[in-house]
Amino acid sequence: MAEHLPINPRTGEPLPPRPQPGYYPDFSTLDQQAFWDAATREVVLKRVTDIPPIRFFAHDPALATALFDRILPQDDRDPDHRIPILNYVDERLSEGVSDGYRYAEAPSDAECYHLGLRGVESIAQSLHGTSFIQLGSREQDEIILSLRDNSPPAGEEIWSRFPAVNFFELLVTDAVDAYYAHPYAWDEIGFGGPSYPRGYMRLENGLAEPWEADEQRYDWEPPPTSLSGSYQPLAGLIPEHARRRQGGTH
Amino acid sequence: MTGRLKTPLLGPFLAPQPGPKMLGPNERLDTRMRRYPHHQEVDVVVVGVGAAGGVLVQRLARFGLSVVGFDAGPFWDVERDWVSDEKGSHKLYWNTLRITGGPNPITLGANNSGKGVGGGTVHFAAFTPRFHPSDFMEHTLDGVGVDWPFRYETLKPYYAMIEREMPVAGPARYPWGDPHGYPYGPLESGEYANLLVRGCSRLGIRAVAGGPIAINSGAYGDRPHCIFRGFCLQGCKVAAKASTLYTHVPDGIANGAEIRDRCMVSRINLGKDGLVNGVTYLDPDLKEREQKAKVVLVCGYAIETPRLLLMSSCPGHENGLANSSGLVGRYLMVQSANVVMGRFPGLIRQYKAPPANACTEEFYETDHTRDFARGFSIQTVGPLPCTFAKEMLAAKGAWGWGMRKVMMDYNHWAAFGLLGEILPHEDNRIDLSDEKDEYSLPAPRIRFELHENDKKMIAWAVPRIEEIMRAAGAEETAQEPRYAHLIGGCRMGVDRQTSVTDQFGRTHDIPNLFCCDGSICPTQGAANPALTIQALAARTADYLIAQRDLVLQKKKAPLDEPPMRPDLSPPGTLTRGVPPRLNKRRR
Repeated sequence: MAEHLPINPRTGEPLPPRPQPGYYPDFSTLDQQAFWDAATREVVLKRVTDIPPIRFFAHDPALATALFDRILPQDDRDPDHRIPILNYVDERLSEGVSDGYRYAEAPSDAECYHLGLRGVESIAQSLHGTSFIQLGSREQDEIILSLRDNSPPAGEEIWSRFPAVNFFELLVTDAVDAYYAHPYAWDEIGFGGPSYPRGYMRLENGLAEPWEADEQRYDWEPPPTSLSGSYQPLAGLIPEHARRRQGGTH
Repeated sequence: MTGRLKTPLLGPFLAPQPGPKMLGPNERLDTRMRRYPHHQEVDVVVVGVGAAGGVLVQRLARFGLSVVGFDAGPFWDVERDWVSDEKGSHKLYWNTLRITGGPNPITLGANNSGKGVGGGTVHFAAFTPRFHPSDFMEHTLDGVGVDWPFRYETLKPYYAMIEREMPVAGPARYPWGDPHGYPYGPLESGEYANLLVRGCSRLGIRAVAGGPIAINSGAYGDRPHCIFRGFCLQGCKVAAKASTLYTHVPDGIANGAEIRDRCMVSRINLGKDGLVNGVTYLDPDLKEREQKAKVVLVCGYAIETPRLLLMSSCPGHENGLANSSGLVGRYLMVQSANVVMGRFPGLIRQYKAPPANACTEEFYETDHTRDFARGFSIQTVGPLPCTFAKEMLAAKGAWGWGMRKVMMDYNHWAAFGLLGEILPHEDNRIDLSDEKDEYSLPAPRIRFELHENDKKMIAWAVPRIEEIMRAAGAEETAQEPRYAHLIGGCRMGVDRQTSVTDQFGRTHDIPNLFCCDGSICPTQGAANPALTIQALAARTADYLIAQRDLVLQKKKAPLDEPPMRPDLSPPGTLTRGVPPRLNKRRR
C-alpha cells in the first residue's frame, strides 16, 4: 500500500508509517497524565481506552470507514496508533449529541449521514459503475472534491434535499472533532494538552515547557494518489450559505 | 537531558475527597443553602443565573429580599465537573434544539450560549471592555441604530464597581472611549498577544496588552491568579477567570438566596389582576412545578428571555407577555467576529495563556472617510486544536492530507478576531418554531441577516486585520467568517411603542415583570457585552431595592435614578486592587 503513504520530496520515496507522525517525535501528553487533575484524567483516559462501539453505522460500516479514511487519512500512522475516528463519530450520532442548533430546512445530522452516504454511493455507481469502497484513492478523492465544490455528478434527488457541500463540511467537522480530541493527535501537533493544576509558565517566543518537546521538522508531501493536499478556501468574508458547526472564540 | 518527570514528586494529583461543592481549588461552598417551600410566595424569582442573574441574586439577597434563582443547567462543582479538554466541555453550552436560519444564519451553542449557574461567564473569553460613550447615542451622533434611554455617565460608576467585583485586569490607562485605568494590573501575555502589539505598533496603530480581561493577574480573595492554562472557554478550573458562579452566587447563598438548578422555567404566570404572580418550571425530573413570587426577573439572555415571554402567552397577551409593542424577540444582534489566522516562521504555541489578552479599539468610532457607520475592535483569540481545525476547514478548505499538514503547524499559527458592531434591525429576530426541544417546549427559531452597513464593515475590517498580522511577521494569512455574542431581543427604551422595557428593565406592560440581561441592550457597540450586562444588573438591583416598597406591592414605581449601593458588593471588593478614585456620580 505504498501508494497511500506520504513521500519524502527529496528522495521521492514513501515515508514508512510511524507510531507518531508530526514534528514532536518524543512528546507524549499521556505521559503527563499524573500532572492532570483527576476529572480531566478520567475523561481523557476513557476516550483512549474505552473505544465506543459501532452502532449508528452498524448496517454498513465499510462505506463510512472508507469515506473517513479519505476525509482524514492516517496511512502515515502505524496500525497500533491510529485514532478510531468512525467510532467517535458514531458515538456522537448514536447518542444524539447536538451542538444546540440546527439550520433551518436542514435535515438532522443523522439524516444527513443517511442521505449523504447514499449520495456518495450513487456518485460512485454513476461514474464508475461500482461501489465507493472498491475505488482507488484518487477516484474516491475526486468524489469528495465534487461534494466540496457542490457539484456532485449524480444523486440529484438527494442533494436537492441538502447541499453536497454541507455533507462535506459535516464529514470534515466530525472527523477533526474526533481526531484532534485524541492525545495521539495532541502529540502529533505539539499541543501541550491539559495543564491544570500545573499551568504553563513559558508563555513567550513559542518556548517549550520543561516537559514539552521542541519541534523537529521533516519534509513530507501527501501521497501522489491523493487530491486533498491543496487548499481552496470555502469561506468568503461573509458566511452567506455556510451551514457549518463552530466552537467559540471571543 | 530535560528530565521529564512522569509524576509529581508526591504522586499523581488526586480527586478531592467527598465534601462540599468546590468552586475552584480553594473556594468551597460551605454554606447550607436556604430552601423556600413551593407554596411560599418569595419576593423575587430570577430566571437564569448567569452574568446578570448572578449579580441580581447576590445583590437582592444581600439586601435581605427572599430570592429564588432558577437555572436550566447544573450548579457546577468546578473541581469535579470541569475538565481541561475541548470535547469534554460540551456540557457547558446550551445544547437543546434551536433552529437557526435567515440569509446569514448564526451559530449558537458553544459559540455564545452557556447553560448552568454562571451562564455565559463560565465559557466566555473574559474580554471586558466598557462600551464607549458614543454607543449610548449613536442615533444622535451617526443617524444609525437607536439611542439608549440613558447616557454612558449613568452606567459609568457601575462599570467601575463591576470592574472591581470581577475584578478586571488591564492597563493603568486604557485610551479609548472614556479613558480609564483598571483595578488589577495587566495580565502577562502569551506570544500571540505580543504579535498583535507588534503588528499594530509597526503600523502606527495604538494597541494594549494584558486586558481589559476579567482574569486575575493577582490572587483575589480565595481565587488564585491565572496559571495560563489556556482553557478559558472550557470553564476556568482555577477560578481565576471571573464567573458569577464564584464571584457573586456564593455571597447570595450566604445571604439566604436559593438556587434551583436544572430547573427549566417554561412559563411566567399571569394573575387575573394583570400582574405576574410567579413561574411554572420543569424540575430535574421534568415534573411541572410552580413558584409564586411578587416580582419575576427574566435573565435568560438574548434568546431564552424573549422565548420565555413568547411561551407565556395567555388570554389578553396572545402574542406573548409584555409584547404590546410586537417587539419581543426583535432587534436581535450578534457581532461580526471574523477570525484572521496568520502563520509565522517561528513557534507561537497559541494554546498557552488566556486567548483574550491584547486588543485595539482604534477603529471603534465612526470614521467619515470609511463607507460605513460605527466601527470595530481587534482582539486576540486562541483557538484550541478542535476549534482551530474547523477554522482551517472554513479558511483554507483544508481536509484530508492538507488538514493533517496544516494542523502539524498548529504551533506556528496565531489568530486575531474582529469584533464589529452589527446594527439593530427589526427583521433579525427570535420567534417560536413548530418543533419541540428536549423539554417538549417550542424550540426557538432565529432569523438573521446582515445589512449593507454590516457587510461594508466586514469587507473593510478583515483586510486591516490581515495587514496587522503581516506586519507582525506572518508569511500567510487566512480568515474564517463568524459571529460572536448575542444582544437584543427585548430592548429597553423610553417609548413603549418602540421598546419592550424601560431603562431599568421593567416591561412597559407589566409592572412586576422585569428583564435584565443582554436582551435589553438597544445596541451593542464593538465591545464584548459581559461587563455591560453585569453593570446593568447592578443598576437594576439598586433600582429594585430603592423602590422596593412599591415594586413588592406590584405597583409601578417612578423612574428615578436609584442611589448606588456599593455596600451591597460582595465582601472585600473595595479593599482589593488599585484603590478606587472616588467617583462623583453624574446624571
